[in-house]
Amino acid sequence: MSTPPTPLSPDTLPDNDNVPGNHYAYCVRLDGRLFMQTGRMIAYYPGPGGQPIRFEPLSSASIGGMVATRFSAPLYTRDWVVATGAGHLILGDRGYDINSYDLDDGNLTLRASNLLAFDETLELKQSIVPGFLTLIGTGKFLASSSGPVIFAEPPIRVDPQALVGWADCPSPSHHYDATWMTGFLHSAMGFLGSNSGEERQFDFTGAGTVLLQSSESGVHDPHLLRQLESQIGGLGTPGLQHLQGVIAQQLARER
Amino acid sequence: MQPFRLHGTRILEVDLRGGSVRAATGSMIAYDGDVTFKNAGMGGGDGLRAALKRRATGESIALMQCSGTGVVRFAKDAMEVLLVELAGDTLRAESERLLALSDGLSTDVAFAGLRGASSGQGLFTTTVSGHGVAALLSAGGPPIALEVSPQYPLVVDPDAFIASQGQLNQTFVTDVSWRTLVGEGSGEAFSLRFDGKGVVYIQPEER
Repeated sequence: MSTPPTPLSPDTLPDNDNVPGNHYAYCVRLDGRLFMQTGRMIAYYPGPGGQPIRFEPLSSASIGGMVATRFSAPLYTRDWVVATGAGHLILGDRGYDINSYDLDDGNLTLRASNLLAFDETLELKQSIVPGFLTLIGTGKFLASSSGPVIFAEPPIRVDPQALVGWADCPSPSHHYDATWMTGFLHSAMGFLGSNSGEERQFDFTGAGTVLLQSSESGVHDPHLLRQLESQIGGLGTPGLQHLQGVIAQQLARER
Repeated sequence: MQPFRLHGTRILEVDLRGGSVRAATGSMIAYDGDVTFKNAGMGGGDGLRAALKRRATGESIALMQCSGTGVVRFAKDAMEVLLVELAGDTLRAESERLLALSDGLSTDVAFAGLRGASSGQGLFTTTVSGHGVAALLSAGGPPIALEVSPQYPLVVDPDAFIASQGQLNQTFVTDVSWRTLVGEGSGEAFSLRFDGKGVVYIQPEER
């Protein structure tokens, strides 16, 4: 019979690396503060003195000032906490691959649901692309992905679902397949359902790096809905009525 | 005792050799030879008292008895399989993470403190004791074994807990405040703290 995994302890756990033999769990050597997504702690060893690590919501008074200068993504505040204390903190994210990255005086944009944790030295902002967050500054962050992350250089067009994030290059624009556009202009194909499923891509240009995941099954993102919701304010009554019609049609089709 | 071995990391193979093994109902994926499968009964084959306790505590367990000759293969939802050997000691496991138990192991229900009241993981835990091998399941990736010693206590998310083994004292830590009620909780409102000496197995995915 095969033996169970060798038990790990603070003496054998890595400092800031994946748990040995496990892409799906990551051990952070915490000493200070870390921004992390709510509920991603799977276990921790308290540091010397046995003081428990505290997980504080961003609205907590003791960290409020620091949060306000570091975290400017109001839509996402409820999904993040600050872990404070010392010890070995093990994180898991629904069985997705977890990797750490270093950002050196740079900026990097990630799909919000793929960003797992980041150092307090980094600054977080909501990207102009819905569902994405931008990290600015110098520090470490953790990202989860469905399958390993692949790095690519622009110019490149990627499937929106496979996109994890991008660094240094300008924000992407939408690219629509030429034949699909022709059909759309003649208002035929697009509405008759003759879609290949690949008619829309994100188009990256300029110098930088694009991060892709090997699976198109994206991480479910509850924030996207909220972001869309926050944008309907500017539509006015006619716009809202129109949107209602569109949604009703879509619902009828999906049933 | 039947030899338990892994085929890859997600399939358990058991050579029955005329003996029997208890496994989670519906977990058989293939077998050869002459094997009969029968429901192990209300209490998972541990008698009426255990059955009533399970009924009362909600720590339900659905086991089947597989006996005969041949090799039976078990798997569940492509979860990773973890084999834990027991030599007269007791394993505390999450009932839904049990895949198979060799002959010579019995299960019971123990009060585990107010564990995981938020996640519905129940106030009770299943104990496995005796001599033999228990096959457990880990979702989201390979299981992680963490050592607990007097020097290093451990805190675990109940949703990631699979099993614990050894002389461990388990306490329930709450971090509930008015913020939890308005939806701005710490996300770790309930956790398990282990003190003593032993090993705790966890999985990378929160249920």
